[in-house]
Amino acid sequence: MKKSVFTRYFFPVLLVLIGAGCIVYGVTDGEAGAVLRKAISICMECIGIG
Amino acid sequence: MEKLLWLLGIDESMAADPTVRLGAWLTLGVIAVCIAGFIILLAKGRLRVRSFGNKVWQRTKLLIQTMWFALTNSFMIGWIKGTIYQGPIKYMCVPGMNCYSCPGAFGSCPIGALQAILDEFDWKKSYVSQSGTYVQAPLYWVAVYVIGILMVIGALCGRLVCGLLCPFGWVQDLLYKIPVKKIKLPRNEASINRAAHPGFVRFLLGLDRYLRYAKYAFLIVMVIFLPLMVKANPWFCKYVCPSGMLLGGIPLMSMDKGLADAAGTLTVLKCSILTFIVVLSVFLYRPFCRYICPLGAIYSLFNKVSLYRYGIDDTACNRCKGCSACAKVCPMGVDPVKDPNSPECIRCGTCAASCPQKAIRPGFKLKTAEGRAIRVSKRK
Repeated sequence: MKKSVFTRYFFPVLLVLIGAGCIVYGVTDGEAGAVLRKAISICMECIGIG
Repeated sequence: MEKLLWLLGIDESMAADPTVRLGAWLTLGVIAVCIAGFIILLAKGRLRVRSFGNKVWQRTKLLIQTMWFALTNSFMIGWIKGTIYQGPIKYMCVPGMNCYSCPGAFGSCPIGALQAILDEFDWKKSYVSQSGTYVQAPLYWVAVYVIGILMVIGALCGRLVCGLLCPFGWVQDLLYKIPVKKIKLPRNEASINRAAHPGFVRFLLGLDRYLRYAKYAFLIVMVIFLPLMVKANPWFCKYVCPSGMLLGGIPLMSMDKGLADAAGTLTVLKCSILTFIVVLSVFLYRPFCRYICPLGAIYSLFNKVSLYRYGIDDTACNRCKGCSACAKVCPMGVDPVKDPNSPECIRCGTCAASCPQKAIRPGFKLKTAEGRAIRVSKRK
């Protein structure tokens, strides 16, 4: 039972923590700003004009 | 009030416009209605897939999808004036395929953002860091922010996003409700007796089986490799994405004459792809999610390890002696008893709601209330 609890919850929780770490790193590295910069102007390629 | 205007991306000069003010109030109204709707569904226990049977669940599912679409695309100023949201919420990516050039979109599309960041990535780029030192290093460490967001969402719920929170999935679900004769393939597994089916069905089965891998090819080639190596374009968004054309292109071009005048060959190509997907969606359940969607391909990798998973109560399931009711209703052609967390499963809940023994258990638990083990792995 202990083993199944470990395998059932350990990997997803670990992945969530790694993902959260990546988000924090991305924010401090300025990547979130780059996402915003792209997203607030109309993407001509996306709407089939580009 | 100022903070609210800032959150909606409205500055003082814009706020003086009565149309903008009307749009802002409408936005707040839609958000309030959607949040209230989710609270009511939660309070009534309607989010528990197994509780009310398939008919009620299908209605609930459509309501959840509609409310999520309305919530994440409720920037009414954009819908009224033909502009897009430019406020701070766009720092965040929404979980589903939701073009950030959609007039109502509050969040960024994760696939669009991933391509944009990979497109900017340059090994030789030099820049001045925040501490003021001049360094020569990658501008971003290979899109960790977007990958982090996808990892958190995937690890929490896997392809539940496809089933319930994707705007383009919702559109395909609505199209599939048009009452015409549907293309229904037999369950597509290695063990199937292909010889028992007519030639055309055998051909479709083979096509379906291999085309399901195409979404991984789209992810690797058009979303990762080409933006990273060839640059210059968000390749998937530019040449394939029908969601961008439907949610962004058509509304913006219909409201902005300048954009409509700029339409050309690419517009024709993207409209053709959109039309093909739309027509196919009327006959076949979610063709875009099955064969093309790179976001579904990413989330499918998490299906077997996510916190929210589908499990089978084998004791309850065995009472039916293999009725296969779940496999018969699965619109994606998965057998949940054999593999409850198949990468092809979009966690739409149809199987769990249809099971006569309530043996399919979506959720986070290891055991049933009666203490029986819930199997989340493949049947041995």
